[in-house]
Amino acid sequence: MFREITYTDVSRSQAQDDVRGFVMDEEAFRSFYDRTARSLWLYLARITGDRHQADDLLQEAFYRFLRADAVHESETHRRNSLFRIATNLARDARRRRLARPEAGAEVEPAGGGFGNPEKAADLNRAMAQLKPRERELLWLAYAEGASHKEIANVLGLQPSSMKILLFRARRRLAVLLGREESTNAAR
Amino acid sequence: MQPVDCPFESEVLAAVMEGRWPEATDDRLRDHASGCFICSDTVLVAGEIDNARREARVDVIVPDSTRIWWGAQLRARREDLQTASRPITAAQSIAGACAAGLLGACFGATSAWFQSALKWAGAGAGGIDVTDLIARHGALAAGVGAVLFLIPAAAWLALRRE
Repeated sequence: MFREITYTDVSRSQAQDDVRGFVMDEEAFRSFYDRTARSLWLYLARITGDRHQADDLLQEAFYRFLRADAVHESETHRRNSLFRIATNLARDARRRRLARPEAGAEVEPAGGGFGNPEKAADLNRAMAQLKPRERELLWLAYAEGASHKEIANVLGLQPSSMKILLFRARRRLAVLLGREESTNAAR
Repeated sequence: MQPVDCPFESEVLAAVMEGRWPEATDDRLRDHASGCFICSDTVLVAGEIDNARREARVDVIVPDSTRIWWGAQLRARREDLQTASRPITAAQSIAGACAAGLLGACFGATSAWFQSALKWAGAGAGGIDVTDLIARHGALAAGVGAVLFLIPAAAWLALRRE
């Protein structure tokens, strides 16, 4: 999506005359974007398994966030709102992909191609075997450092169920990672 | 029932996330984690995910914030224009539906073929003189039909989201 944008064809001064006022002003948005875009992209890449889709969903998430014109109590609230929008977009994209007969099997979560290839591959393989919600839970908890309440807010779950859900997801991944380590050691 | 949390879990997690695990953590906590599957799972999973995030973050390239901002502005403007023009389209559709209803009523009232077809239908309608019924109330029936069916259908077609 962002590859098609040609806003430079429209002079900035002309656009300013017609600009639609979002609740958030440009400076505040750019600051918020700089703080959150990378994290959000990594989250989307991890839960969708598709870097190109993460590119598209990132833009769409920020657009919907701006368009919602919500007033947020705090930075945390704002961030949760953004991640919630992104999570819903990723789920919609997954449903559409699964609904298409030619989609075939779900794309294996990558988010890889970074850092240590071997370690990244182990984690990728392990996370590929988790359910989408488990991937979301674990990434929010341990990559984003979100609290149970924040995770519940983002994923639309009951806070009271977070403990058991996280426990199960973590247990599953630990077992899978343990298997990966055993496989590597045996090689 | 198997426990799902541990009182030391948050302390272990904090140590992992802050990069203090295991070297800069006290022996008590390390000894506990080695014997507690909840804490050892936390060390393993949180460690792997946090490492993956740190390593991956360096290589992530996202679009420039200015581009995202101005792209959003242009797109919002485009959508607002489309939304603003929808009532005009709805009014045109409703007008068209009314015109179609009126034409139908005029056709029914003036067409000899239609009248004879009604007489034929009326002959098998249990004594009800359908022709007379239509002749007297045809225009009203056509109008009611338009209001009840055509106008809502036209409005739905015009206002539905693409």
